[in-house]
Amino acid sequence: MNLKPDENLELIAETARRFGAEMLTPKMRSAEAQRGVDKETRQAFHEIGLAGLEWPEEKDGAGLGSLARVLVNEELGAADAGAALSLDSLGPALYPILEMGGDIAQLLPSNADDQRVLLVSELDGDLQVETQGVKGVIPWVPASRADAIVVFKGDRAGILRSGFTIEPIRGSGLRAAGAGELRIMNVETQELVVHPAGAARARARTRLYIASLLLGVMRAACDFSREYAKERQAFGKPIGHHQALAFLITDMQMALDGARLLVRHAAWRLDHDLPSESQAASALAECIDASRLIGPNSVQILGGHGFMSDYPVEKYMREGRALGLLFGGFDAAIEESSRHLCQSDAPLAIGLEGTV
Amino acid sequence: MDFRVDQETQDALEKLKIWGREFVRPVGLEADREGRPIPVGHAFFDRCLERGDGRTHWRPGGAEKSGPHSSALSRLLLAEEFAYWDRGVMVATPGPGLPELSVIAGGTEEQKERFLLPFVKPNRPRWACFAMTEPGAGSDAAAIQTKARKDGDGWILNGAKCFIGGASRSDWILVQATLDVSKGRAAQRAFFVEQGTAGLGPFKIEKKMGLKAYESSSFSLENVRVPASNLLGGEERYQQKAGFKTAMTTFNAGRPVIAANAVGIARAALDETIRMAREYELFDDTRVRDRIEAMARKIRMARLICLRAGQLADEQQPNIIEASMSKAMAAQVAQETTSQGLELIGTAGARGDHLIEKLYRDAKAMDIVEGTGQIQRMIISRSLVGLPR
Repeated sequence: MNLKPDENLELIAETARRFGAEMLTPKMRSAEAQRGVDKETRQAFHEIGLAGLEWPEEKDGAGLGSLARVLVNEELGAADAGAALSLDSLGPALYPILEMGGDIAQLLPSNADDQRVLLVSELDGDLQVETQGVKGVIPWVPASRADAIVVFKGDRAGILRSGFTIEPIRGSGLRAAGAGELRIMNVETQELVVHPAGAARARARTRLYIASLLLGVMRAACDFSREYAKERQAFGKPIGHHQALAFLITDMQMALDGARLLVRHAAWRLDHDLPSESQAASALAECIDASRLIGPNSVQILGGHGFMSDYPVEKYMREGRALGLLFGGFDAAIEESSRHLCQSDAPLAIGLEGTV
Repeated sequence: MDFRVDQETQDALEKLKIWGREFVRPVGLEADREGRPIPVGHAFFDRCLERGDGRTHWRPGGAEKSGPHSSALSRLLLAEEFAYWDRGVMVATPGPGLPELSVIAGGTEEQKERFLLPFVKPNRPRWACFAMTEPGAGSDAAAIQTKARKDGDGWILNGAKCFIGGASRSDWILVQATLDVSKGRAAQRAFFVEQGTAGLGPFKIEKKMGLKAYESSSFSLENVRVPASNLLGGEERYQQKAGFKTAMTTFNAGRPVIAANAVGIARAALDETIRMAREYELFDDTRVRDRIEAMARKIRMARLICLRAGQLADEQQPNIIEASMSKAMAAQVAQETTSQGLELIGTAGARGDHLIEKLYRDAKAMDIVEGTGQIQRMIISRSLVGLPR
């Protein structure tokens, strides 16, 4: 047993960490204001190979799995979660196609580095996906434009290249990825695939994608507020030395560490073709649960300063919450996980499939 | 990363599962019903010996017996599984118990022979225990008042200890005492006090809310005289401030085990909740399903946090934060989980004869023993924000 990621994955994560620290964090406020990431950053992202992380090797991708994804996403999320969504052309839109047998080569219309393909599901809003037509309204997507939409409902998925509009809106968090209201007119899709097992895996991978960005946001919030608490003085000592804050900071760190282990555990299971729908869904639920503690409290620790845009914690608080609303958020996650759990008499017995 | 359980540990878990189902849980429920520790002459203890329990892993000459117990990760999984069946019975099981590791790590060769040899092939159920807690010193272990004073070629001990597991039935008690109350940790020493030594006792068997299967007793030490050779590690060991550290070494290894116990208790509550929900056909109720999901999610998380501390121990890396986190988190999870289970069974949970109700009472101790949740948070805060001692 080994709860630490392998060295080669750590190296990839380290690359993402450096990219984030050098290219994303310094520009996070301007990316938020401009609702997009600049050309230079985009090019750098593609050059270091982070763009094709899970893209199959035969299509010139790195062909890596969920564990690589969650390690990289945590790093990118810690730097700027909105920018991370903006930079990853496919994002979780890759999963239904990859897992359900669609033709992924068609997914990206060109090799341009500013492509955006969005994943939307019935969990995000009102969406009907039938052979004769797809229609729906999603109140918020983290994008101001899209080249294609992957629609995903239950065990079916399809690709739309036209017949939709995205009307830019203000957005709450993740503005660096853009913000819009998506309307899909009653359009036909030629590429509708039905695949229950693949759909379950696609949902799991999507949830881990979101969960791992959330981990990054939480880590940034924990780190920033903790360092602040060690410096800022009140009543003659650092505020972090008052037990009320010391214990709060401890609980925030515990919540983060626990959520991270759940995410990596589920990702490892996915990569090893073990049942992981419940694990991935619960991992996302736990990340959302933890973010509800960490986001607002990171602002709380900075007091009035935390409320101001001069510090990043208010951004972390908004973005953590916005991420947690994607793909049906907490409720959809626990719904899926609980259905699996209730099928077993002893769902957490040690040694099921030889694992924990 | 790798979350597979090795074959040796899986085999041990499989055996423990059968033992747990057939003997551990029934004898734990019996003790709870009767409201007393499993009596010394109980047939259960003979079965323990037949099964090979109650022995030390220490071997004369220093070689340890190998097996799943030699990995912290495996020990944690086994501790979780044992507590799943009954945590009180796990503690009641004969053997050299809590002080074993301290003796192996800090004892002289002569002491290991004297105090551990009887546990290599015990001819009857034997126990040993570690006595730190006092009426006025629980979490603040540096504040203990039991005094040790040099007297010729021996030591005289005076004081009182409380809530000590299995003290009245132990062959010997490793007693933590101080040479000088004003000097804190540096002045603390551990002494072997053999059962029957004049001035030891009487033992008061405490009545407890839960974990009734094992004995918790309180006793006094009145002019108890022990020979110089009963000072753990001998005189020279204490030239370098090792006194308190010996005790704390026991605890650092112990915290993740308590955490694993808490995970086991929580998992028992989860499975029983699922069983009840199935029997009464409650799975259509969203609220019931949500509760089961929350229980399972927190248990999974606590288990992983616990295993992380174990892996660091196996790698001989510092694990103070991780060990403290595991206990702080798992104890809380056990309390919440058992409590949630009670919500599901409603007034049936207040009858006093339901497994989940017992688990709810048992779980509370997990947030108290070997450092309360608050103490764990203080330890973590020292690293995270430099909280002063």
